[in-house]
Amino acid sequence: MNSSLPAVFRIPRRHAPADAADASDSIRTGETRIDPEAVLEIDGIRTVFPGAVVVDDVSLSVRPGRTLAVVGESGSGKSMTFLSALGLVAPPGRVTHGRVLLDGVDIARLSGEALRRVRGASISMIFQDPMTALNPVFTIGEQMTTLLRAHERVSRSAARARAAGLLERVRIPEARARLDAYPHELSGGMRQRVLIAMAVALRPKVVIADEPTTALDVTVQAQILDLLADLQQETNMAMVLITHDLGLVARYAQDVAVMYAGRVVERGSLERVFGATRHPYTQALFRSIPDLEGEPGCALHAIEGNPPDVAALPAGCAFEPRCAMGRGRANCGSMRPPLVETDAAAHVSACFFWHSLATTGSA
Amino acid sequence: MSSPAASLNPAHRNGNASWRRYARHPGFMTGLVILAAMVIIALGARWIAPYSPVAADMTNTLAAPSAAHWFGTDQYGRDVLSRLVWGTGISLQVAFSVMVISIVLGVALGSAAAFFDGWLARVLVAIIDILLAFPGFLLALALVAARGSSLSSVIWAIAIAFAPRVAAVMRAVVLTIRPRMFIEASTSIGMARWKILLVHVVPNSLPPVIVVATVGAANAVLGEAGLSYLGLGVQPPAPTWGNVIADGQGFLASHPMISLSAGACIALLVIAFNLLGDGLRDTLDPQMRRRADARTL
Amino acid sequence: MGRYLARQTLHLVVTLAGILTVTFFLVRMIPGDPAQYMLGDYATNDALAALREQLGLNHSLLVQYGLFIGHVLHGDLGTSVVTGRPALLEIVQSLPDSAILAVAGMTIAVLVGVPLGIVTAVRHGSFIDIAVMLVALAGISFPVFWLGLAGILVFAQHLKWLPALGSSSGGGFIEALRHLVLPAAVLGVSVAAYIARLTRSAMLEVIGHDYIRVARAMGVRESTIVWRLAFRNALVPVLSIIGVTFSYSLGSAILIEVVFSRPGIGTTILKAVSSRDYPLVQAGVLALAVIVVLVNTALDLLYAAVDPRLRTR
Repeated sequence: MNSSLPAVFRIPRRHAPADAADASDSIRTGETRIDPEAVLEIDGIRTVFPGAVVVDDVSLSVRPGRTLAVVGESGSGKSMTFLSALGLVAPPGRVTHGRVLLDGVDIARLSGEALRRVRGASISMIFQDPMTALNPVFTIGEQMTTLLRAHERVSRSAARARAAGLLERVRIPEARARLDAYPHELSGGMRQRVLIAMAVALRPKVVIADEPTTALDVTVQAQILDLLADLQQETNMAMVLITHDLGLVARYAQDVAVMYAGRVVERGSLERVFGATRHPYTQALFRSIPDLEGEPGCALHAIEGNPPDVAALPAGCAFEPRCAMGRGRANCGSMRPPLVETDAAAHVSACFFWHSLATTGSA
Repeated sequence: MSSPAASLNPAHRNGNASWRRYARHPGFMTGLVILAAMVIIALGARWIAPYSPVAADMTNTLAAPSAAHWFGTDQYGRDVLSRLVWGTGISLQVAFSVMVISIVLGVALGSAAAFFDGWLARVLVAIIDILLAFPGFLLALALVAARGSSLSSVIWAIAIAFAPRVAAVMRAVVLTIRPRMFIEASTSIGMARWKILLVHVVPNSLPPVIVVATVGAANAVLGEAGLSYLGLGVQPPAPTWGNVIADGQGFLASHPMISLSAGACIALLVIAFNLLGDGLRDTLDPQMRRRADARTL
Repeated sequence: MGRYLARQTLHLVVTLAGILTVTFFLVRMIPGDPAQYMLGDYATNDALAALREQLGLNHSLLVQYGLFIGHVLHGDLGTSVVTGRPALLEIVQSLPDSAILAVAGMTIAVLVGVPLGIVTAVRHGSFIDIAVMLVALAGISFPVFWLGLAGILVFAQHLKWLPALGSSSGGGFIEALRHLVLPAAVLGVSVAAYIARLTRSAMLEVIGHDYIRVARAMGVRESTIVWRLAFRNALVPVLSIIGVTFSYSLGSAILIEVVFSRPGIGTTILKAVSSRDYPLVQAGVLALAVIVVLVNTALDLLYAAVDPRLRTR
């Protein structure tokens, strides 16, 4: 299986790669068909801020036990998509369209108490910056018991005991003592573990990890992600890994979605997206990774042009101004390319000329 | 400003696109309009006021509001409206003078306290703290008592009483600017410290200082009114709004218009300054936060 | 924690020393000759000279300062030129009336201002937010003595619910209370307007923090988020707001005392100023500044109790 991936990704995989046939049914192109096996299906989410559409008709889904990686630059809308799914978009932003099916139930329709109960218990989110994600004036124990008691009727002492157990599960040494510590007394890695503990405390069906290791040291990164993968195996929960680090994607994800300027531009299994790339942006991303085995002194590839301004997108394809392929081609600048199936089922690309990559590309 | 270090300074790259943002803020525009109207009234007092503010007419004391005297007359027969019109200029004079003086003093004191190190800075910080311990009005009162009751002494008293607050704000801002990269860059190319202070630090710290200045103007109007009311401010028969309130106090039950109208004038001007300050704060805040995030520049 | 206390104490001592110094030089700037005032217009030059000698006015300023500090350390703030009694005694006797007014006023201000600030922050942009903030804007823009006069006009003159002036008509506790209501309410409402505005800003800032969004993502109840998780973080800025507005309220209290003809430090200081009673002015200004410093120091200690991040420094 490794042979189909670019050289840089020939690293030991975290999970045995899933059967390619399994992936075929899970994601459909453009139709509103619900995947009966997906635990979370985001269908056509559209989120706007004054002057800009930050999430533009995004559809994603993920099955139990699997990890979907959502890849993109800062500002591509990857975090905003899931904040929208959870109803956490603050004014002046608004979610204007879309369904969010959690086990078939559209939680985008929920509000108030019903939504609150879903959050944290059925679907939870781990945020990017552990330094600011914990409340500075309460102890770890107090914050965890607040979470537990918000969803279940437990006594304070019982909640405390459970909290200690959770901290042990995320491999925090001296868990009981840590309950009385304040966030500023813990390192970044420890704080992230606490946040992970809180995210899985109520055994949610889906955990969304928004760049969980970006703010941490590289040495701690692997520990945190391995921990998440282990927890995933224990509970068979679905995971969404939002990241811009392709190395992490190769190691931990089975499905990949690539986002650009608030839109999904490519989506499919890991093997397909990485080994048989069908979108110029994705290809440019891979090409820009420095090759350890390349010749010393060779030039680094950067993607030409500037990152997109979501408030002023071109009429056609958002990537067209920087696309090596599309320059001069008729439709790219004026028509928005829809997501279409490529040469493999369930592998979609938002490019009119994806087939050029099939002939000249990596696989 | 051709050095690369200077081009990193966010304050030097600010365009004029911001003017439009202010125009969209309803509170800010309201305050601006009120202030402009007051300035016009003050400048044109000579033509707008129907009578002289100090012309006593003992045959027509305490007249009720009428066509001839829109707000009636006080116990000396003086037209209240004219006194109010002329009082506008005094209040504005106090407000702007206090603003300027307290900014100059406060910016100097605060930036020195934050920018330089060592015992000098500690002494300056101590001075600011000590002066802040006195309730502002009390300090102004004591200063006016010490220097006599003229317009200039009132202005200086209020300005000196307010300057520590400006200094404290300035100090806080400078402390956040100091660690920024462009300061380090300027220092590393050998720029003199005082020059860095003047060229880089001060322009970047102006937004919060400008906001505090509007507070100072509002405080100044209220402070002058309070001092006049206590008899310690600009002495009668000067038509300050505070004096008018004091004059009307004895006749509050029968002729409330005298004191009430003067108070309304004060409130209107103070509201204007507060609206300006709030508007500035709202418009500048996202900018200030964005600058804070651009630390890596 | 010990280091924190030590630093606070040092800061307190330095500030008190500074206040003494500033007050001394401030008062010495008041023009006029106390000896002249005491003995009247017909005093002879010899008598004036003798009195000046006695009051120590002939020494250089620095020597006077030294003597002053010495006296203060012995608890002697000088003697009132007008009444002949120790200035400290005069001030201490004026304190209770002012204290009652200040405490009542600040209590009203905090109990009204803080919740309003929180509610408007949480309901940012709603009708109630705009309405309350407009009222608060008016509250900080009208001079407090004008509000007092308006209050007298409405409640004492027209509605005749409450007495207008003085601190009590000689009646007992109830009478004193009736005389306290209007001045305390006016003071309280005026300061509450400040507190509400500042609390709103502090709360808005806290609500914008990441950990609030995380709590929401975890499904914590909105009421818990606002009143427990957010408010506890806003507590330090709110305490600081209370400290600053307390200092401001003392200035307002002086004006309120004059409007309502209430006895207290304010009236005492004003009378002392007009009679050139150096020692009494000095003692009065000193007392108020010291009270502000003590209140702020107490608040500083409270900060450490509230915010664990301050304890380890």
